[in-house]
Amino acid sequence: MSDDSLRAAVRAIWERSRDAIMQRVVALEDASRAATNGELAPEMRRDAQREAHKLAGAVGTFGFWEASALAKEAEAILEGDDTITPTNAMRLSNLTASIRQQLSDEPGREQDAPIAPESLETIVSVGHGKLLVIGTDVDFRERMAIEARSLGVEVLAARSAAEARTMLTGPIDAVILDLTLPDAGFTFLERLHAARPTIPVIVLSDNDEFQDRVEAARLGGSGFLQKPVRPSQLIDLLRDSLVATADDVATIVAVDDDAELLAMIQALLQPVGARVVTVTDPLRVLNVLVEHAPDLVMLDVDMPGLNGIELCRVLRNDPRWSALPVLFLTARSEPANVLRMFEAGADDFVAKPVLGPELVARVRNRLERTRMLRLAADVDSLTGVATRRRGIEVLERIFRLAQRQRQPISVAAIDLDHFKQVNDRFGHLVGDMVLRRVATILSACFRGEDIVARWGGEEFIVAMYSARCAFAAKRLTEALDKLRAEVFEASGATHSVTFSAGVAEFPTDGSDWTAVYRAADDALSHAKAQGRDRVVCVEREPTAPAESSVDVVLVDDDAVLVEVLERALQSSGYRTLSVRDGTSAMEVLTGASPRVRARVIILDGGLPGHDGFAVLRALTRDGITRRSRVVMITTAKPDPEVQHALDLVTFAHIEKPFTVDELTGVVRAAMDAPHTSSPA
Amino acid sequence: MTKSLLLIDDDDDIREVAQLALEVGTDWRILTAASGSEGIELARDVCPDAILLDVMMPVLDGPATLEQLRGDDRTREIPVVFLTAKARPAERDRLAGLSVSGVLAKPFDPLELPEQLRITLGWASV
Repeated sequence: MSDDSLRAAVRAIWERSRDAIMQRVVALEDASRAATNGELAPEMRRDAQREAHKLAGAVGTFGFWEASALAKEAEAILEGDDTITPTNAMRLSNLTASIRQQLSDEPGREQDAPIAPESLETIVSVGHGKLLVIGTDVDFRERMAIEARSLGVEVLAARSAAEARTMLTGPIDAVILDLTLPDAGFTFLERLHAARPTIPVIVLSDNDEFQDRVEAARLGGSGFLQKPVRPSQLIDLLRDSLVATADDVATIVAVDDDAELLAMIQALLQPVGARVVTVTDPLRVLNVLVEHAPDLVMLDVDMPGLNGIELCRVLRNDPRWSALPVLFLTARSEPANVLRMFEAGADDFVAKPVLGPELVARVRNRLERTRMLRLAADVDSLTGVATRRRGIEVLERIFRLAQRQRQPISVAAIDLDHFKQVNDRFGHLVGDMVLRRVATILSACFRGEDIVARWGGEEFIVAMYSARCAFAAKRLTEALDKLRAEVFEASGATHSVTFSAGVAEFPTDGSDWTAVYRAADDALSHAKAQGRDRVVCVEREPTAPAESSVDVVLVDDDAVLVEVLERALQSSGYRTLSVRDGTSAMEVLTGASPRVRARVIILDGGLPGHDGFAVLRALTRDGITRRSRVVMITTAKPDPEVQHALDLVTFAHIEKPFTVDELTGVVRAAMDAPHTSSPA
Repeated sequence: MTKSLLLIDDDDDIREVAQLALEVGTDWRILTAASGSEGIELARDVCPDAILLDVMMPVLDGPATLEQLRGDDRTREIPVVFLTAKARPAERDRLAGLSVSGVLAKPFDPLELPEQLRITLGWASV
């Protein structure tokens, strides 16, 4: 059944139910008249309120969304016991008249709006987030709501900062703030962050001024995007932040044969943000642990079948659970018993009868320690910035995101200048202090969605999402200026410290983070070679200018095919050049400074002279495939190994026979695709 | 295996539309009940995979029905989704706090209802 026939079926139900529903309108009209005369009896009012409620909840489903909203308003007027003012009585009378009028129309008159605005904003999925959008752009807000719904995220809207303030008193998980609102701006951001520091705030701005970005980060913004922004872009950012939040919810497995106690533990711990899985049968525990991978397990000491002590020993002997925090519940806390628990591998215990605050405190304590341990692997202990391990993790994540979003990422490799001399002259303590200071300066300059990580020794990396090379270089230069201005004192002498940095960007300089990092590292070598204390972007143009440059070079010995293709490509506005054999192709296209530079090279696999694969090898060797996209033509499907090698260096590969349209389609795609060193 | 969903709503027309919308938009087996008590009885007998429960009903309202469902071993674990015209956040938060899988708004769009339920229940799209 199609959507249309479902609509028709719903309309048929409406036709049948119309009279019954109109009876509700009549009841409302009666109540409205009584209210106008000041004689609305409490019982009649309650009935009328219920009718309004029913109308509000029902008629939208039949396509009368506006009538539904009006009924909701009527319900609000009828709610409560306060006397209905004359103004409200009149409003009620107008509302009921409008409702009647709306309902006598054809249903689905508003079919152009296929989704009810109300339903967009009112889906709540328990355990998911609430997103507050502060801004005046209704269209954007509604598109956000649609996108957010796919995540089970509810979107609340505020049209002004003033309105937002009241909504922020309720539960909100993330905020999108349009800085261009007249009463919003940085002051509001600052206050918001001060009042609710844990809520991530993504800032939208009309301009991409460097100062604005810095200011937004300084005042607590956790993301900065320039308008116009696509909702899907924001949703991806949010999905990551919400997923991160979800990870923070601790899962606790509680094992006790006393179901009532388990219910109580659940009641105590759920409000503080823990997910509690309860188990009454100790023999089931291992299965539950595998299924839920908890952050902590609570064991009752005395249970029939398998007691807590034995169970704990089992856990400690299993490499999967040997580090899992175990907290005992026991009615017997005399020393011998406590000793037995710790010997079995307990981390802590709670005495029965369980007292709420104590239980919460001990569980929190334990979880906090686990979190610190995990954090220790993520945060470099000397400098406080991310470790290399963590840096790689985040790089992988934001590169995936950038690929989906078609956003650039700039990556900078940073190395302190003459750091060995600092260590040699002043000792490692001073060296460490310098490292800490550099990390602090970098962290202050790059925040929010940017990453700063210590890569090892005196090397750092910075990655900036949604930033091009030039912008990243500008910010790095600021950081460098700041560092250069610092005076370090040691052994009575003062000295200053500088760094060199190389910057590369995705996707221009590489299709994954390792390639971009390598390019940035190359640029770093240039920065060092040019005398250090500077920021250098990847050099993309060859130093020796090519003799000529065209859009497409065709390398094929089939004269007819070449002529047809050239004509087709030229008619699409492309400048072309054709070469008939492998040797000429090598002469024209390869070498340190090739005579011809092409955006796309179409290469036949079977050629006289050097064959197409030899030409491809030379192109790869000379780095031509990094800036030109190669489309390979083969007569048959190559074997998997060859195919794999081809995939690494070519943009696409086409099998003969093909149509002219197919090939020009591929060429067009190659022209339009973002520049990457290997295929997307 | 085909999922089954029990729909409890005292409004005949709404029940009919919801059933129709779900039968068209999903391959689930849809059962219906016109009151809380009828719904509880049916739930005990057939043990549906989920229950869509209207909040405002005479005699036994949604929360009261939920309480009885939760108090019975046969129906304790069945995921419940509330259907309500109470759009105010405070009210929805209160409902959401009652160990339900989600709260859907009334009025619902018949074309949207199946997808909303899928998302709320975490049931993969067919």
